[in-house]
Amino acid sequence: MAVKRSRFAAASAHDGFAAVDFLKREGAAALRRFMRAHRGALYAELRFEAVLHRSAAASDGANRESTENESAALGVAVQCGDRHGLAAQGQTGVEIGRLALSRPHLLAALDRALGEAHERARCNLREKAAMLRTLGAAANALTRAAEYAPSSARDEIAAVYDRDPRTLDPGEMQRLCHDASAAIAGLGTDIAFNAVAALSELRHELFINTAGALISQAFAFVQGDCYVVAQTANGHQENYDTIGQQRGFEALAEGWRDELMPNPDLHRFALDLARETRELAAAPVLKPPDGEVTVVTDPHFNALVAHEIIGHPSEADRALKMEAAYAGRSWFLQSLDHNEIGRPVGSPLLWACSDPTLNGFGHYRYDHEGTAGRRVTHIEGGVFRGFLNSRATAAALGVEPNGSARASEAWHVPLIRMSNTFFMPGASDPQRMIAEVDRGYYVCGSLTPSIAESRENFRISARRVYEIEHGRLGRLYRSGSVMGDSKSFFTHIDAVGNDLRMIAIPNCGKGQPMQVKRMSNGGPTLRSRARMGGG
Amino acid sequence: MRAERELKQFVRAALALLAREADVAACEVYCSSSEHRVARLNYTSDIASRGVEEFKSLNADGFALRIVMRRDAQETATAAIAGDLSLEAVRAALERARHTTVADPHFPGLPAAPRILPRSIRAAVASDLMRTPDRAIAQAAWRIVGGAIGAYRAGAPLKLARPGLVIGGDLSLIRDRIAIGSSAFTDLRADQSAHFVASVTALVESLAAKGTATAVGGSRDAMSREGARLGRAAVTRALALRHGERPAAGAWRVVLGPQPIAEILNYMVMPSLTAGAFHAATSAYHGRFGTPVIDARLSLADDPHASTGPVRRRITCEGLPAAATELIRAGRLVGLLSNVYDSHRLATDEHRAEKLGAGANPDTAFPARNGYRMGESPARRYDGHPGSTGTNVMMRTRAGVGDRELIGAVGDGLYIGRIWYTYPINGQRAGDFTCTVSGDSYVIRDGKLAAPLAPNCLRINANIEQVFARPIAVGKRSSPAVVWGAPEAYFVPALALEAITLARIGDDTAG
Repeated sequence: MAVKRSRFAAASAHDGFAAVDFLKREGAAALRRFMRAHRGALYAELRFEAVLHRSAAASDGANRESTENESAALGVAVQCGDRHGLAAQGQTGVEIGRLALSRPHLLAALDRALGEAHERARCNLREKAAMLRTLGAAANALTRAAEYAPSSARDEIAAVYDRDPRTLDPGEMQRLCHDASAAIAGLGTDIAFNAVAALSELRHELFINTAGALISQAFAFVQGDCYVVAQTANGHQENYDTIGQQRGFEALAEGWRDELMPNPDLHRFALDLARETRELAAAPVLKPPDGEVTVVTDPHFNALVAHEIIGHPSEADRALKMEAAYAGRSWFLQSLDHNEIGRPVGSPLLWACSDPTLNGFGHYRYDHEGTAGRRVTHIEGGVFRGFLNSRATAAALGVEPNGSARASEAWHVPLIRMSNTFFMPGASDPQRMIAEVDRGYYVCGSLTPSIAESRENFRISARRVYEIEHGRLGRLYRSGSVMGDSKSFFTHIDAVGNDLRMIAIPNCGKGQPMQVKRMSNGGPTLRSRARMGGG
Repeated sequence: MRAERELKQFVRAALALLAREADVAACEVYCSSSEHRVARLNYTSDIASRGVEEFKSLNADGFALRIVMRRDAQETATAAIAGDLSLEAVRAALERARHTTVADPHFPGLPAAPRILPRSIRAAVASDLMRTPDRAIAQAAWRIVGGAIGAYRAGAPLKLARPGLVIGGDLSLIRDRIAIGSSAFTDLRADQSAHFVASVTALVESLAAKGTATAVGGSRDAMSREGARLGRAAVTRALALRHGERPAAGAWRVVLGPQPIAEILNYMVMPSLTAGAFHAATSAYHGRFGTPVIDARLSLADDPHASTGPVRRRITCEGLPAAATELIRAGRLVGLLSNVYDSHRLATDEHRAEKLGAGANPDTAFPARNGYRMGESPARRYDGHPGSTGTNVMMRTRAGVGDRELIGAVGDGLYIGRIWYTYPINGQRAGDFTCTVSGDSYVIRDGKLAAPLAPNCLRINANIEQVFARPIAVGKRSSPAVVWGAPEAYFVPALALEAITLARIGDDTAG
C-alpha cells in the first residue's frame, strides 16, 4: 500500500470547503433544533459535500474543453413515527452550490430541506397507515421493518495526494490531454477518431445525525479516459478504457506504481490503447466453435466478471428484492430460506471479497450511514459467505452492518455499493496456465457486459482474444466474448493466477434516478470453461 | 422551484454584466431550475419492507455561462455555478471561465439564428404537474402498492404462507424550467415542462411469475388514474404468466413487443442516429445516410411537440426552437439528432463524404434541434453540456397489422414482451447486441399465445439488422414504452421477426 503523504483537512474561509468546517460546528445543533420543533420526528441525518472538480478534454489532436467547478450539496433524511409504532421516511437532496458560502443561506437551506423531508415522511406515514387499515394482516410485512441503531461514530479522515488539487494548473491538464490526443492522431489515417480526457477532484464529505455521529472524510481523485475508433480495410474497432487513483494529479502526469493497481502516465496509457485499437481493426472477427471451450481470462477481463457476477449480486438490497424492478435480484439468495449462504457456488480455488480499506478507486473509511467499512468475504474456497449491506438490510439478514451503503453525491440516497471488489490471488503462474492448454482461448481486456436479471448468466465482450494451440498463443481476434452460467463458470475454474491486479471502474450505475459511482474491481488470471461469442 | 420570471431576470442581468467586459466578445447565459421527485416502491411479502422505500426529491438550480474571448474567436470557456443566481455569482463564474479558456479550432460560435423566436413558440406549455404536492405523489404510490397486494389476494391460486410476492418500481415526477439568453439573441427564451413516469414490477417467486406495468403522462389526473391501475395490472399479468415454459436454444421466430423494441432503439439505434456518432465514425449506419437502413414499412421520428408525448419542449437548451426531427422515412435514413457543435463538426469534417456515404446529398444539413443539457436524471440541468437527445421518439408503421395477425404471422415461436440489459456487445457500429428475456413473454403455437414463458431463461444474441431490416410483419399500433434511465419516451409498435438466435440460460440456478 502507498504511503500517505500530503494531507488535506481544513480549508480557507473563501471556498466551499469552509462550509464543511462551519457545519461541523453548527450542524448537530441545527438537527437538534429541528427535532425539538417537529412533532413525530424520530431521527434525522445530514450529509453535506463540497467538491472542487477540474477537467480537460481533447479530441483528434485539438483542445475541446477545460472546466473548473466548485460545488456543494446536502442531503437530509427524516424518520417519523406514529403512536402505533409505525414509521416512515422522507428525503430531500439539494444542490446548494455557492449559497453554501453564506452561513445564513446554508442554515436556511438546511432548515428548508429538513422541513420538506419531514413533510414527505408524514405524507408517507399517513398513506402507509391508511393502507394498513384497508389491507390488515395481508400487508403485515410493512410493519416488521427493523434497522440497527444509527451510528454514533466520530472521526476525521484526510485526503491523500502529492500535488494539491486546489493549485493544479488547468493549462497543464489541458496540455496532457492535447498532447496525448495529438500523438494518437499522428499514428496514421487508421485512427478515425480519438478523445482523451482527464479530471481531478477534491471532495470533502460530512455526515451528522441525531444519534451523535460526526464524520468528516476527504478524498482526492484523478481519472484519465481514452476513447479510440480505428478503421482499416478489414474492419473497425472502438476501444475505451480508464485509469484512476485516489491520489493527486501526479498519478496521471507521472503514472502510479502501486503493486495492486498500477497505471502508466495518461500519455502512454492513451497511446498504448490506440495502438491496440489499430491492431484489432485489422484483426479478423472471432467465429468461435459451438460448445464450451477452455478459456484463460486476464486480470482486466476478470475485473468486469468480479464486478458483474460477484459484486452486484453480493449487494444485499438486490438479494432482498429491493432492486427487482431495476438492477435485478441475486442468484446468491432466492429467499431467506433457500439461498447459497454457506453453500458451494464455485471451485474450491475461488475466493472473492470487497475491501474498502485498500487503496483502490473504491477506498473509504466510513459509508454514508456512518458505519466503518471493512473487508467482506463473499466467496471462501468456493463457498458463498456474505453480502455487502446497509444497516437496514443487515437487520433483515440478521448480521452485523459492514459499511457498504453509499451515495454517489450528497443529494442522493445511499444504496449498497461495491468498494474494491475482486477475486483473490491463487498460486499459479499465468504463463503456465496458458502453456497447459491444448486448445482454447486467451481472453484479454473487458469491453461490455450483459447480465441476466439475477446475475446467473453473463455475456461479456473482450478487447482481444487469442487462440491457444498446444500451449502457445496463436492468432489475434476481435469481437470475441465469453458466455456462461455464473455457477457453471465458477465451478469449472481449475487454476487461479498469482497476478492480482485491480482497475478503476469510473461509472457503475445503480438506483432511480441513476447514481454513477467510482470503485475498483480486479482479479488474477483465471482458467475455466465457457462458450465463446463472436461477431 | 424558481419561477420563470426569476430565471429570466437573472439571465437579463447577467448578460448586461458580461456585455461590459472588454475582453469578452460574445456570451451566453443559461440557467435552469429542476426537480425530480421519486416515490420508490418496495413491498416484499416474506421479508420486512417499507412499501414506499424512498420518498425523495432532488432539486438543482444554477446557471452556466459561456464566453468567447475578443482576442480569438475560437477561444472560449464555460463555467457553471449551482444555487446562487446573483451578480456576484456571475462575477465568480466569469473569473473561473477566464481561468480555463480553450482555443478550440472547431468552435462554431454561439448559436445565432433565429435572433428572435417566432411568437408562436414563445409560450411554454403549462401542466398541473408543475404544482403537484407531495401528498398526491404519496397517495398515487401507495395506491400502486395497495392495488398490487389486493390483486394478489384476489387472484392467487393458493394461499401460501410464503408466496414471495415482490412489488418494485417507482413513481417519478420530473419538472424543469430553463431560461437562456445570449449576445447573439435579441430576446430572452424560456421553457418549462413536467411529466411523470411510473414503472411497476410484480414477482410471485413461488410461482416463478413476473409481470410489469408502466405509464407515462403529463397531467395530475393521469398520474392518479395510473396509480389506481398499475399495481393491479402488474400482479394480474404476473399471475397469468406463472410456471412458464423453458424453451430450447435455437433460431426462433419471435414477436418483439413494444418494450423490447423501445429498449433496442434506445441502446442500439438512437445513439447511431446523431451527427456526433457519424463524425466519430461509430454509427451503425456509417456510410449509409440517404439510403434504406430498415424495412420500408417503418419510419422513426423525434417529436417534442407530439400531442400524446409527455416530454414537451418548446426550445432546446441552446435556445433554439425545438422541432420534430424526421430520422428514418419509410426505411430510408433522412435525418440525425444534433446540437450546434456536432452539426458544425460534421458539416466541416474532411471525411464527411465517406462517413455519410454516397447516398447522401452533399448539401444535406443537420439542424441543431436536439441540444439538451441532461444529467443522470431526465430533467434539464444547469451544468450539462448540450448533447443530442430525443424527447418523444415515435416509430410509425405502414401496412401494419393487429396483434392477432402479428402473432399469427409467427406460427410457432415466442412473444417476447420484456428484455433487460441490452448493450452493443461489439461496439456501436457493429450493431451486435445481447440481452435476456426478463418477463411478460409467451410461447406461440399455431399462431396463438399458448403458454407463458419463464422469465430469465433465454438470452438473445442478434444484430439490429435482424430486428429492423426484414421483419415478417409489423404492428399497426404504436404503444408507449419506458426504458429505465432514458430521458426519452418511446412510442413503438411490435414487430414479428425471423430466426432470432436464443441461448438457454440459468439452468443450474433455475427453480
